[in-house]
Amino acid sequence: MCGMRHWTTIAGPAGGALIGLAALSPVPTAQVASNARFHETISGTLVEFEMVRVPGGRVEAPGPDGPAWADVADFHIGRTEVTWDMYDVFALGLDVVAGDAGADAIARPSNPYGAPDYGWGHAGFPVMSVTRDAADAFCAWLSTKTGRAYRLPTEAEWQRAAALAAGDEALDGARLHAMAWFGPNAERRTRAVATRQPDALGLFDLFGNTAEWVTTSDGARVTRGGSYRDDSVGPDARAVQDDSWNETDPQLPKSRWWLSDGPFVGFRLAASVEGDQP
Amino acid sequence: MTDHRTDAVTRRTFIGTTAAAAAAFAFPGGVFAQGSDRLRVGVVGCGGRGTGAALDCMRGSAGVEIVALGDLVPDRLASCREELGERAAENADIASKYPVTDELCFTGFDAYEKVLATDVEMVILATPPGFRPDHITAAVAAGKHIFAEKPVAVDPAGIRKVLAAYESAMQMGLGIGVGTQRRHQAEYLATIERIHGGAIGDVVSGQVFWNQGGLWHRDQDAGMSDGEWQIRNWLYFAWLSGDHIVEQHVHNIDVANWVLGAHPVRARGVGGRQFRTQPEYGHIFDHFAIDLEYPSGARVLSMCRQIEGTRNHVGENFIGSKGQSNASGRITGSSAWEWQRPERRVSPYVQEHTDLVASIRSGRPYNELKQVAESTLTAIMGREAAYTGQELEWDEVLNADQLLAPPEVGFVPMAVPPVPMPGRTKLDRKWGE
Repeated sequence: MCGMRHWTTIAGPAGGALIGLAALSPVPTAQVASNARFHETISGTLVEFEMVRVPGGRVEAPGPDGPAWADVADFHIGRTEVTWDMYDVFALGLDVVAGDAGADAIARPSNPYGAPDYGWGHAGFPVMSVTRDAADAFCAWLSTKTGRAYRLPTEAEWQRAAALAAGDEALDGARLHAMAWFGPNAERRTRAVATRQPDALGLFDLFGNTAEWVTTSDGARVTRGGSYRDDSVGPDARAVQDDSWNETDPQLPKSRWWLSDGPFVGFRLAASVEGDQP
Repeated sequence: MTDHRTDAVTRRTFIGTTAAAAAAFAFPGGVFAQGSDRLRVGVVGCGGRGTGAALDCMRGSAGVEIVALGDLVPDRLASCREELGERAAENADIASKYPVTDELCFTGFDAYEKVLATDVEMVILATPPGFRPDHITAAVAAGKHIFAEKPVAVDPAGIRKVLAAYESAMQMGLGIGVGTQRRHQAEYLATIERIHGGAIGDVVSGQVFWNQGGLWHRDQDAGMSDGEWQIRNWLYFAWLSGDHIVEQHVHNIDVANWVLGAHPVRARGVGGRQFRTQPEYGHIFDHFAIDLEYPSGARVLSMCRQIEGTRNHVGENFIGSKGQSNASGRITGSSAWEWQRPERRVSPYVQEHTDLVASIRSGRPYNELKQVAESTLTAIMGREAAYTGQELEWDEVLNADQLLAPPEVGFVPMAVPPVPMPGRTKLDRKWGE
């Protein structure tokens, strides 16, 4: 939880660190004001998270027939990757009140035979080893809990956020080192979220820490941004799931919830701006 | 692939079964397609692991065929056939190795006997562990090679059966692989070879862990007998699983015995049932911490826990006079070393089948049953130290008059055994005690 407390203290329009970053950003200052963010608390728990508004625009994103231009509307994106604190409420049913028969009708992740966090850290760390289906199911559950339609970012949305994340300055090696947990500094494990510097949008760990699931127009299983184990992370980092991500689950059928060999895979929430469709 | 085989061969060389290594090199994948080289395999226990093991076996070697299936209940047999059928439909290699027909699918408590009565040359034994000693004994008597899942028993009576079967299998030249897949995992093989070569000096102590959250459980549906429910919900009954220290933590304990080159001579420890107290979790404990004492005087702490919301840690650590090692890729100290992960590696769950089949085809099959029986008894000794609250000697546990299974195993009324109580529970005990 220390990571989450950390970012709430620097959140808000008066936060000095953010004003400094906003000055570097191509985003008009008016849009990085109080309406640009909101906090959400998962009811019945002390778990909260923050969403940041990303101004829309035109991006060139990968598609089934090669790169294609797409228009992205304004949207909200999670300020951090989804943490175990958030995911555990869903996975362990921490929101289920004893005696409430209807509350547990939703399918929740099975218990894995092992430790999907690899013992690297849990509270304040990004969720990892999760399948795309599990990430989608988390979003569906969270939408029911909060009344707001949460989902994974589209690949074009992620690309738009990544383009704005650099701000006006070049995203050179020194800035990546300051912003990202990746091959050269992460010692091959995930780290607590929001422990590197935020990017120009105020987001943490968009590059590195865990690679992040996005949705694609052709249904391809894609992560963006790169992870703690990659030497090359950033706006162009992209990976398509293959068999090696779920090779050693000794059960058949393999778990639909957990990737036995995907400790580098996590995700970040997105939500459309009210009234808009994704 | 090449890197892994090199490591596997290195390991075999140091344990002295070079014939198996030679076979692995002499017959790279594909050469075994000829009819005479086919190896017919049956599966006993068609749950998630048995089904997975069947696929791993097919993926591991050319010329193997899964021809017979057996399970206690029809629904598990059906789900296994559905899964393997799907894999066969999408992969021609698997399809060619999966000629199962209705005539060679069996259910019931005697399904294993029916599988053994077919012309299979090898069986995969993957039922809940409580049945394993009888299944291993019957398979050896029928002259079949075996891949048995771990653990290989749940109580001393079972261990004695398995050790007798080991001796018979050695005389008959049968191959037996056991699902302690770390023994076939490249980073463990490379690291422990170095430890045995003196890379951390004399090993004086170790710590082995399997701390995680909970596992699945099955509810007792209306009309389901107690006996059927206990077998379907087998993790939580010691007569079926051996408790989680035996069922799961045996993996890490096996690494300790492998590194130390011995089994411990005595154990003392604690454990309890603190979090998982509801009826669906049977009568087993949810945490153990055991002090294992080895012949050299080395001491190993064994710790395991299945409690939600607690810190996960699965792994091993060994301390020597010259350094430390995690046994799986890292050595620190004067001979510091790190394993270089290959670009692409073979799943150890597949590799263990590749190695076993290669050794059978070499004409000099290996037999892992004794080493895993010893690791299983080590876990049982730890469990009993915690259950009884006593300090226990190896021979005392091996020869204990303990039999955990009920007098009648069937879909019958069956009470949940009592939760063990340190200071009161006795090492020598029968069902219900």
